[in-house]
Amino acid sequence: MPTVVFHKLGATYREEVPDDTNLVVNTAIKRFPYPHLTFGCGMGKCARCACRVLSGAEHLPEPNWKEQQRLGPRLQQGYRLVCQLWLKHNIELAQDAPAPP
Amino acid sequence: MPELMDPAEFRTALETAIKGKSANKSPFSVAWAEGKLSRTHLCRWAENHYHYVGPFADYLAYVYARMPDSFTDAKDFLLSNMYEEEIGGDRHTDLLIRFAESCGTTAARIKDPDNMSPTTRGLQSWCYAIAMREDPIVAVAGLVVGLESQVPSIYRRQTPTLREKYGFTDEEVEFFDLHIVSDEIHGERGFQIVLEHAKTVELQQRCLKICEIGAQMRLLYTTALYHDYVEAELPLSALPLAA
Repeated sequence: MPTVVFHKLGATYREEVPDDTNLVVNTAIKRFPYPHLTFGCGMGKCARCACRVLSGAEHLPEPNWKEQQRLGPRLQQGYRLVCQLWLKHNIELAQDAPAPP
Repeated sequence: MPELMDPAEFRTALETAIKGKSANKSPFSVAWAEGKLSRTHLCRWAENHYHYVGPFADYLAYVYARMPDSFTDAKDFLLSNMYEEEIGGDRHTDLLIRFAESCGTTAARIKDPDNMSPTTRGLQSWCYAIAMREDPIVAVAGLVVGLESQVPSIYRRQTPTLREKYGFTDEEVEFFDLHIVSDEIHGERGFQIVLEHAKTVELQQRCLKICEIGAQMRLLYTTALYHDYVEAELPLSALPLAA
């Protein structure tokens, strides 16, 4: 079972999750890292779930077409769309504070 | 005599009830996965599928209205599912139309209810009927757990085929991609509602039965698609069906 470390707004949350967990699916059903992970459409469109991968990126598949389209140059800075990731290995993620409305 | 199940046992029982009649086993799904359908077959599929999944938020709205006030989490989950189907991102049916147009049909043909088969009309009517008439927890079991939660496994199998064997682009098959994520969310919410609120033996048994029937209805629908549109050109003997 992968361990997920999630940083947001200066706080750190850590939990083991089942293999093949999608953190947006988990958050949507009020499981870890609910309510801390911000997400929107759950379909790779809005990029509100974007997180920087601090460690474990080497275990992730290459960014898919949606991530390439939505994230563009942010991919080079380590950002991924969490709604597009099914986790099989330990990972450490950081999500920026949401932009003010 | 059945006994009251704890949530883990009940979830396994629900999954078993669905699995026995999974739509993955229909000749239409097998032909799809084998890359043997023509674009014309896929047009006919889309023209039917629109009338089954198009009103999904409508079905859920009936369930939402009948869900007791005190079941706040269940109501919120249903509302989230409705929002995401329609306006959370791209409207799901718009993506279905985009796929269907790339197969060669038109938005007008897809939206025209005269183009659905009697079996599709039957499935749509069954969805409306249980949304309006069943206990709302049983309705969630039928519609969300029995039908919607099957979708990720079906599309996981079908989407790579659409790219690799049929030659569709990423944008054209986005409808299928998004359902792998969104229906997983929706299906899981359905499970949470049912596991939390089906707290009597009688209600658990009704949920199991409706899941079984929902999965049968979906299998009936996809099997009819094969007989109505595909069989004349692709006989059963040409498909690797399990005995």
